[in-house]
Amino acid sequence: MNSVYFLRGGGLFGCLMLVSLVTGQPNVTPAEEGIPVTDPLVIAKCSSCHPRDEREIMQRISWERTTPEDWQEVLKRMILANGVMLTPPEARAMVKYLSTKHGLAPEEAEPVRYAVERRIHDESRMSTENFRTACAKCHALARPLSWRRSREDWQELANMRAARYKVRPSAEVIDLLAKTASLRTPEWTAWNAQTHAPNLAGRWLVSAYVPGRGKYYGEMQADADGDDEFNTRVRLTSIRDGSGIIRTGRSVVYGGYAWRGRSKGSEAVSAAPDAPSSEGREVMWIAPDQSRAEGRWFWGQYQEFGFDVKLRRPSSDATLLAIDPLSLKAGSRANRIRLVGDNIPPQVRTADLDFGPGVSVRRIVSNSPSEVVAEVDVAPDVGLGMRNATYRRSLLPNAIAIYDRVDYVKVTPESAMAAFGNQTRMRGYQQFEAIGYQRGADGRAHTADDVELGPVDVTWSLEIFYAPEGSNTDFVGKLSSTGFFTPDAGNANNNYDVWVIATARSEKDKDGKPLVGKAYMVVTVPTYTFDGRQYVRELDRWVDDGPARSR
Amino acid sequence: MKNILLTLIAVAGLANAHHGWAAFDSKSTVTFQSTVTEFRFLNPHSVVEFDVKDDHGQVQKWQGELTSASRLSAKGWTATTLEPGNEVTISGYRAQSGVRVLRITKILSPNGTEIKIDSGN
Repeated sequence: MNSVYFLRGGGLFGCLMLVSLVTGQPNVTPAEEGIPVTDPLVIAKCSSCHPRDEREIMQRISWERTTPEDWQEVLKRMILANGVMLTPPEARAMVKYLSTKHGLAPEEAEPVRYAVERRIHDESRMSTENFRTACAKCHALARPLSWRRSREDWQELANMRAARYKVRPSAEVIDLLAKTASLRTPEWTAWNAQTHAPNLAGRWLVSAYVPGRGKYYGEMQADADGDDEFNTRVRLTSIRDGSGIIRTGRSVVYGGYAWRGRSKGSEAVSAAPDAPSSEGREVMWIAPDQSRAEGRWFWGQYQEFGFDVKLRRPSSDATLLAIDPLSLKAGSRANRIRLVGDNIPPQVRTADLDFGPGVSVRRIVSNSPSEVVAEVDVAPDVGLGMRNATYRRSLLPNAIAIYDRVDYVKVTPESAMAAFGNQTRMRGYQQFEAIGYQRGADGRAHTADDVELGPVDVTWSLEIFYAPEGSNTDFVGKLSSTGFFTPDAGNANNNYDVWVIATARSEKDKDGKPLVGKAYMVVTVPTYTFDGRQYVRELDRWVDDGPARSR
Repeated sequence: MKNILLTLIAVAGLANAHHGWAAFDSKSTVTFQSTVTEFRFLNPHSVVEFDVKDDHGQVQKWQGELTSASRLSAKGWTATTLEPGNEVTISGYRAQSGVRVLRITKILSPNGTEIKIDSGN
């Protein structure tokens, strides 16, 4: 069985690069030395089972590095399996120490971000069959690659897997992991040599996207609360409908770059499971120069809802954050384009805006410090494809598509899962979107040069696999007019394969029939293993929320 | 956090083993000269939609189920391995229910070359 984590982000490429680039290269890693463990709490809690020698090297722990989430998992395992007793402040302090001294460098964490950001991710194109068999039958690729271990520790892990799960990775896989994810790496050495104090306090510009709700823009104010913790206040405005959200939260930054927090909206809690004011976990990757951050703020029983966020520091110059709409048709005239940004001066001239050859700015309709609305014409013979949007020196790369027809509609996510619920288990929902595409220069659909045009106005329908057309689907669930799927409330022990069908209202194929896009959704039983011991389940919240203050 | 991991695992499972092939009659294979109308390169199963002309020249709409995109990728498949208009010979097992659906076992290109598939679930 191959591992498939459906695509949303770009992390796969980095991950594969990580695997494939290192394979075949000489192992340039110097002889590995363990990482000394110096934290009194870690020593006190762990040394009874993990002896520490005179060089401060601790069995297993000194030979491993990983993400905050994985250290939290380790603590849970130690609590459940080995009877370790921890108070919330102790758990928080240990995760902080381990994630800093035994963490990942930013460059190491970036390719595996998708796992901690709980993104649907496609791992179809894994590089080696052995690696797939050894690790990816059960795990996301990011699970092993979120760890750095000595060769001996990888072997130790393999031995444990062999004993527990009867899966014994080959020597080739151990070699691959030891090279790909070694304990000591140039990135880690370089990062370790720097100071990690996260200088993140102050104002940030935020652009965000919520599937089904579109783009948001706004700002975040981060106030330092200690060396590496922050209280935050975020104000976001929907580009689609102008509605506003204010979220407040609290975050900790591990290792100088790994932002982990929790926030919620100040509005009354909505009954809608996807309400953007919902309490959610914040996971962001802060660039090493601390000028920008990216990540996801997510919630839901299956983490199926969330903001895809990008943060950047404000500039003394104007900064562009977003554009609406996302595409313009060749030969169209008097299109209203809205550019959202920051620090836009009072005087804006048509010459200040540029969308490339063939797109002319007729006039500035309005402007304010946070947006410019302009009217533009697109020449009939304009070059097709993605264009930058520029306001003076501020640029939004590949911000707007110029097209002459919609060739096909893609429903995203193309492969999806939803879960029935019952009285004790919440349902897993799914938001779908219908996105228009034009073929690229190669003239073929579904290839890398296709041009994404943005959402298409469609009607939504469900179809159970191989059921007669028009069959009732109410017992599977309901798909709203906005593509939001709600599983049926009383069907918890069933499984259905369903087509989610988007039929374009306006766009037609060459035969004059409406364009149709389909996604494959499995609506299945709830995950029945959520209920662990509450003591352990709440450890994540201890770590996120901090000690007694929030208890 | 465990719930998140389990979700990911569940999705992985979805890719390849979410249903068996019992709904198809594996005792007899049927073969069609077909024109591809759509190819959906998806998980947990890729699906080919194709037209078949019956003995009277009438076009019948069929669907053929393949294994997951991830398994097909390992065989070199991409989203454009089959494209609308491709003339191919498709063999497989018919759905027991009688609907026009195949579990595809073999695809031949017009020159008779076999397009390798993975017969896994």
